[in-house]
Amino acid sequence: MTESSAMRNGVFQFKDGGWRRLVAIPTILSLVWPVSGQQAKTSLPPEVLNPLRQALQKSYKELFDEAPKLEFSAAQIAAMRKILEDAQKSCVSQYKRRSDELSKQLRSEQASLKAASAKISDKERKDRHCKIQNLRALESQARVLAENAIPIAYENKKAKLELIEKWPEELKRIQAEIASGSYLQRRWGDVKDIGFRELVPGQEKDIKDGQEAVQQMKMSGLMPPEVDDPEVRKYVTSLAEQIGKHSDLKVPLKVTVLNSKEINAFALPGGFLFVQRGLLEAAENESQLAGVIAHEIGHVTGRHGNKLMKRATIASAIYQAAQIAAAILTGGAATIGTYYALQYGFYGLGMVLSLEMLGVSREFELEADQLGVQYAWNSGFDPSGFIEFFDKMATKEGYVTGLSWFRTHPPFYQRMVNSKREIMFLPPKEGLIQNSPAFDQMKKALAKVTARAEEEDKERPSLLAPVQGCPAPEKVEYKPGEPIEKLCPEPGFSK
Amino acid sequence: MPRARILQVIRALVAVLCCGAVARPQSPAQRSLYFTVEEGDKLVTGLTEQNFRLTEDGQPVTFRLAPPETPILITLLVEYSQASGLYLNDIETALKEFMDAAPEGNWYALATFAQEVQIHVDFTKRKGEILATYSGLGQPFWGEVNTYDAIYDTLEKLELLPGRRVLIVIGSGLNTLSGHTLTDVQKKVEATDVVVFGIGAGSMLRGQYDAYLSTGARMQLTQAEAFFQMLAKKSGGQAFFPRFETAYRDVMRAVHTMLQHQYRIIYESRLRPDNKFHRVKLEAFQMVDDKRKDFTVRVREGWRFR
Repeated sequence: MTESSAMRNGVFQFKDGGWRRLVAIPTILSLVWPVSGQQAKTSLPPEVLNPLRQALQKSYKELFDEAPKLEFSAAQIAAMRKILEDAQKSCVSQYKRRSDELSKQLRSEQASLKAASAKISDKERKDRHCKIQNLRALESQARVLAENAIPIAYENKKAKLELIEKWPEELKRIQAEIASGSYLQRRWGDVKDIGFRELVPGQEKDIKDGQEAVQQMKMSGLMPPEVDDPEVRKYVTSLAEQIGKHSDLKVPLKVTVLNSKEINAFALPGGFLFVQRGLLEAAENESQLAGVIAHEIGHVTGRHGNKLMKRATIASAIYQAAQIAAAILTGGAATIGTYYALQYGFYGLGMVLSLEMLGVSREFELEADQLGVQYAWNSGFDPSGFIEFFDKMATKEGYVTGLSWFRTHPPFYQRMVNSKREIMFLPPKEGLIQNSPAFDQMKKALAKVTARAEEEDKERPSLLAPVQGCPAPEKVEYKPGEPIEKLCPEPGFSK
Repeated sequence: MPRARILQVIRALVAVLCCGAVARPQSPAQRSLYFTVEEGDKLVTGLTEQNFRLTEDGQPVTFRLAPPETPILITLLVEYSQASGLYLNDIETALKEFMDAAPEGNWYALATFAQEVQIHVDFTKRKGEILATYSGLGQPFWGEVNTYDAIYDTLEKLELLPGRRVLIVIGSGLNTLSGHTLTDVQKKVEATDVVVFGIGAGSMLRGQYDAYLSTGARMQLTQAEAFFQMLAKKSGGQAFFPRFETAYRDVMRAVHTMLQHQYRIIYESRLRPDNKFHRVKLEAFQMVDDKRKDFTVRVREGWRFR
């Protein structure tokens, strides 16, 4: 029986011998396997993939400029995608296994302590506590890497690969829209009328909701304390007001700077803007900070809180905090540090605030991205600061958590392209600000605030904190900002 | 030489040669006692050193009153098991009432237990994290109620921390499959400088259904209550068994009031770390018209020095 007759008779209807199946099945499978599968072979020599690998190390901003000139074949792109996917799987499973092993060791150590607890000397008890503490720290690190840091680092790489693949075509479309003038018809395309146009009427109606939410948050004790440095507060307030004045905001802006290390900012309906200390620390220049603040103001002017509240109150009526959460639009990102902190029981506002927002805020994020870019530009700041900051979060700080920002937001690629497209549609403007002496001055004042806060953190008691007198817990030799390959080299690839 | 005399000599030699350190007089160790003074249902405040007398194993001890340490490290250890289903509502009410009345400035931590202790919120001054986290716990997974292990393990963690530490146990007091025994827990409480309060959840239910309980069940519940009483007595805290829902508010406020009005005495203990229990007795009194008026002192029963 030939292969074709086998297929006519039905693939598995072999009558004259099982040995034929052994030959026929792989042959048929190879014929019916999808084309992408063929392309996904990773057998391309490393030197063919090296230029693409190097391109992936670049920032989104650089890739927007360079991608149209890069010439990578579909096979190279597919092979790289496969490599990234395999590497992600392998790296995640490596650290998952490590976490499981450590967890097993931890449980066994705890059980052994429990059994011997009444009989052992204080010294031995201390040694065992130290060992348990070390195992906990290692297990926690491995889990955080497997569940968050590694997947996000690879998602970011895949988004950049997608950008290399699709941006040239997208760019042509954008240029065609500019040439034909059709870009002016896009939603909120009337950027010259910012401040005089009506996005969603009734912003002032949100003030009451916002006030109530602030009140509830204060009463619930979830609100971190305010930064007590007048210079930092004054700077952030003045920057936010400057952006507010050049936006579609119709309500007064009430700015609060919270003393918390989360890299986060969020807006409550009615113009209540909260900026967390971590965001000020992470921003490298004024345009980056302005980009995030403008994005948050975009949420207020779009009345997203109001819309979310309507939807989410019904969905999550059982949990009061969720109602507050649903009304808050987080615009932040937490670092891996936050995740380690989480393992020790401390968590930030973003954690509580955004969990209920899954699936309800994607469209609003894209709209806030668009409006934010417009407001930053209209206030005289370089609007690409937002892209830069996003990149920094995803690439250098890496490990941006899925909880307060990325899980609820559209994919990286979509957000980056959406923001870049808007920047290209904006009328050219001279002298856009990237940084200012006031920003640098604020950073100096902030350093003192941070030092004080870190000092206070050291004094914080902990049920899980290092046992005094133990050697410092071991750490995975991987620092934020380093390429993910340092953590686990990609399989089947050598430099 | 009689055999007893020989043994005596050998013991003395062993003590001198091997265990010289033990035989030497122990340097005094500073101890701190937290306590409240009560007259009927009222807390007595404003007493001075002259109003107290302290003895350790019957021997008078010199002491001084000192301001209580702040902030207080308050750990809430909450039973959270499938077996707690009938009184989970009580547990939640107790926790909520406690946190609602909790003053700002202290450190609060939340741990739950079923099979083992899980720390959900490490010490925080953001009180809201406690209730927000508790509300998000979901359904209890384990069916065990290993109360002895949970208290033992938590005290073990707390004894490593400096400062004024308070453990609030909210649960039934029942125990299923703990590795530690009641004696282990008792010894741990005696050895640890932590004030323990027990809040008996399920007491309301017991009040309602007491007539229907079997003797065995009644016995178990009595043991559970006795366990909480023991914890409180040994550590200088108090155990409460609210029999109706609205009582939780008063009970939890009473705990805060007691903490707020605790005295602190510091003294030098000359007892040796022999892992034996040593009784502490603190008397509080006032001279009124040349007559001594005694008050009730809620203070730990003693110490087990290790």
